[in-house]
Amino acid sequence: MPDAILFPALVWVTLLLVGGGLALVRARDVLQRVIAFDSLAALVIALLAMLSYLRDVGYYLDAAVALALLSFTATVAVARYLASGGPFG
Amino acid sequence: MISAVLDVIGGVLLFLGLTLMTISLYGVLRQRDTYHQLHAQGLATGPGVIAVLASSIGTENAAIITFAVLAISFVALTSPVSGHAIARATRRRRGRAER
Repeated sequence: MPDAILFPALVWVTLLLVGGGLALVRARDVLQRVIAFDSLAALVIALLAMLSYLRDVGYYLDAAVALALLSFTATVAVARYLASGGPFG
Repeated sequence: MISAVLDVIGGVLLFLGLTLMTISLYGVLRQRDTYHQLHAQGLATGPGVIAVLASSIGTENAAIITFAVLAISFVALTSPVSGHAIARATRRRRGRAER
């Protein structure tokens, strides 16, 4: 993929990361913070994928898959904890 | 010839994914209710990430495309589950607050 497409896309996702940080700061509830964290994880996954396209190596996508796994586990664990008062309850 | 076509398809998918993520982030920043924020956020974690990962066909690299397909299947499985978990937690917390 040409760099002329990928560079503006990388800059734009970095700006969106700043917006995600703003959403994290502006959250007024624990669950809104979880939502902002989840969208930040999605943005970082997209950033890693585009970095992989830019450098033409597949290793960054390993990190993207691992990050998707971690963010899913963290979100489900926190949501269950907040819903029931205990991580296994 | 085929390379240019794949470049165009990849660029269009990348643009689509970034547009979806931008709309989703605007919704998360704009809405004040947790359910409405969740509605907006599901657009980024589902179709947004999937479109960005699907634009890997523009690279014409077999290793990258294989890992992108793995990541797409994983995201498609986990994104609705985590959204449902957040929504259920919100409902339980509100139910506890009303009691």
